[in-house]
Amino acid sequence: MSQVLYELRASWAIAKKDAAIYYLKPNILVSGALFPLFMFLAFSVGRPAEPALMIPGLVAITILFSSSTIEPVSIPIERRMKTFDRLLSAPISLHAIVLGESLSGFLYSIGIASVPCIAGFVLFGTGLSNGIPFLIGVVLTAFCFATMGTLFAAYPTESPGDIMSMLNLVRLPLIFISGIFIPIASIPYPGQLLVYCSPLTYGTDLIRAGFSGPTLFHPAVDLVMLLLFIGVFQVLANRLYKRFNE
Amino acid sequence: MIAIHVSDLVKRFETITALQGISFSVNEGETFGFLGPNGAGKTTTIRILTGISPPTSGSASILGKDIVNETIAARKEIGIVHETSNVYDDLSAWKNLIFSAELYSVGKEERESRGKSLLELFGLWERHNDRVKGFSKGMKRRLTLAMGLINNPRILFLDEPTSGLDVQSNLIIREVIRDLNTKGVTVFLTTHNIEEANVTCDRVAIINHGQIAAIDSPERLKKTIQSVQSVKVAFADADPSIKECLRELPLVNEVRKEGDKYRLITEKPPVVIQAVMECAAEQKVTVISMNTYGPSLEDVFIRLTCLDVRTKGVRAID
Ligand SMILES: Nc1ncnc2c1ncn2[C@@H]1O[C@H](COP(=O)(O)OP(=O)(O)OP(=O)(O)O)[C@@H](O)[C@H]1O
Ligand SMILES: [Mg+2]
Repeated sequence: MSQVLYELRASWAIAKKDAAIYYLKPNILVSGALFPLFMFLAFSVGRPAEPALMIPGLVAITILFSSSTIEPVSIPIERRMKTFDRLLSAPISLHAIVLGESLSGFLYSIGIASVPCIAGFVLFGTGLSNGIPFLIGVVLTAFCFATMGTLFAAYPTESPGDIMSMLNLVRLPLIFISGIFIPIASIPYPGQLLVYCSPLTYGTDLIRAGFSGPTLFHPAVDLVMLLLFIGVFQVLANRLYKRFNE
Repeated sequence: MIAIHVSDLVKRFETITALQGISFSVNEGETFGFLGPNGAGKTTTIRILTGISPPTSGSASILGKDIVNETIAARKEIGIVHETSNVYDDLSAWKNLIFSAELYSVGKEERESRGKSLLELFGLWERHNDRVKGFSKGMKRRLTLAMGLINNPRILFLDEPTSGLDVQSNLIIREVIRDLNTKGVTVFLTTHNIEEANVTCDRVAIINHGQIAAIDSPERLKKTIQSVQSVKVAFADADPSIKECLRELPLVNEVRKEGDKYRLITEKPPVVIQAVMECAAEQKVTVISMNTYGPSLEDVFIRLTCLDVRTKGVRAID
């Protein structure tokens, strides 16, 4: 038990350290904060007011990009500076490292996503009818993609660009198969299968439930699926960090 | 008690075998040196002993805890100073230190009091709130050492602690190692600096190409090669041809020119001294000084690692 506490504290220390060092780095601000926020603006401004349809998707995309950006940048840099060896040689398990890194992406993303949310709520009123699924949706989506970023960063490179390009190969298509811009019904059949493989689908769906928008699944299904993705990503990340540890 | 036990450790990377089955033990309280040229496998050994890198085969334990199966328990006993000064440039010295304390679950009061005394010890307290980015190489190295000691380890691993540092940083670090030693902390340090191994270590393992060539105290290692004693002589105004003359002397195995002096390698220095005086008289040159030397650790090192740099007149290993 005390070891669990010990490791949780170390994870928290890792997240705090990342926050102090990376959150305001220019390249992270551009791809983790400005890019998603501009995307949000680009798609939300001037559209017919259908907040229940558009807003959940845009919030989910903002979360996707902001949560999965920190680790793919910070971990390769720390490999190059050899500070990553500090984490690898500390008396904590890989789980604590993966958790701490994911936590740092998670917190960043919550901070970024709250900007359009709060602004929207203040300027246009909420449209939010059910806070609980909305909050759970935001939190789980953020943690899920933060873990995905940590997972990608396991690739043993010292250059953030290598990981970013791999990651974008996944992140960008996710937008189109998650029912945000293109209604799922209009995606041809094999593509629809992909929709069910995307955690963004469930995240968007759960957030949408908060706006009482039309949903694909029962919120409980979304919740279970998101937890499942988080679990799988965490386990995979642990495996990969272990495997690439020479 | 045995602090570090290593048995038949092998590490293979894709193309090369970095460690070819090394075995040794380090006793608690000992300062143990791992001396070897570049690429010998020193860092690889430390990375395995600290559980960063898994061994291909063989085993290692820290205070009786297996490094593969009881990694976390083993790591709680150790402090590590990595080969590169891996500090966070964007954090202050103080924040760096506190972060390592947090990784090792050092309690708040303890880390603040120990943090302050460590920074004072390493002469960094005045700069504790400054970002590390502006620190000199020696300051970063000293901070790395302070970070390695924040958890009050029973065993300290130091990967080339003083490489490339100035005299002052060097002295502080050596002093700290000596002090740790008197407090009963086990120190495992790697170096390619022979003098450092000679003056700081109780025992030294000489490693080359992933194999241990010898392990013993520096003095006993020197005794194993009595045949490389030497006589160093300086002449007032000698013609370079004197070298030929010296080479012809009986019992001289080799003559090396070292600056304005000549070193004659021999097993019998007294006989050679006599012969040199006679040779000088014959050539009508004056001997200014003459000294005899026992084997140095460097000689042992050169002998055991088969480094043949003498012919080029190079003497230092780095
Ligand atoms: N991750 C790795 N992948 C492949 N080869 C490696 C790796 N790490 C070390 N090696 C090889 O293992 C050998 C031993 O390297 P190591 O870093 O242990 O040497 P060292 O004794 O610490 O040398 P130095 O004095 O230069 O620090 C070298 O030939 C090196 O190229
Ligand atoms: Mg090395």
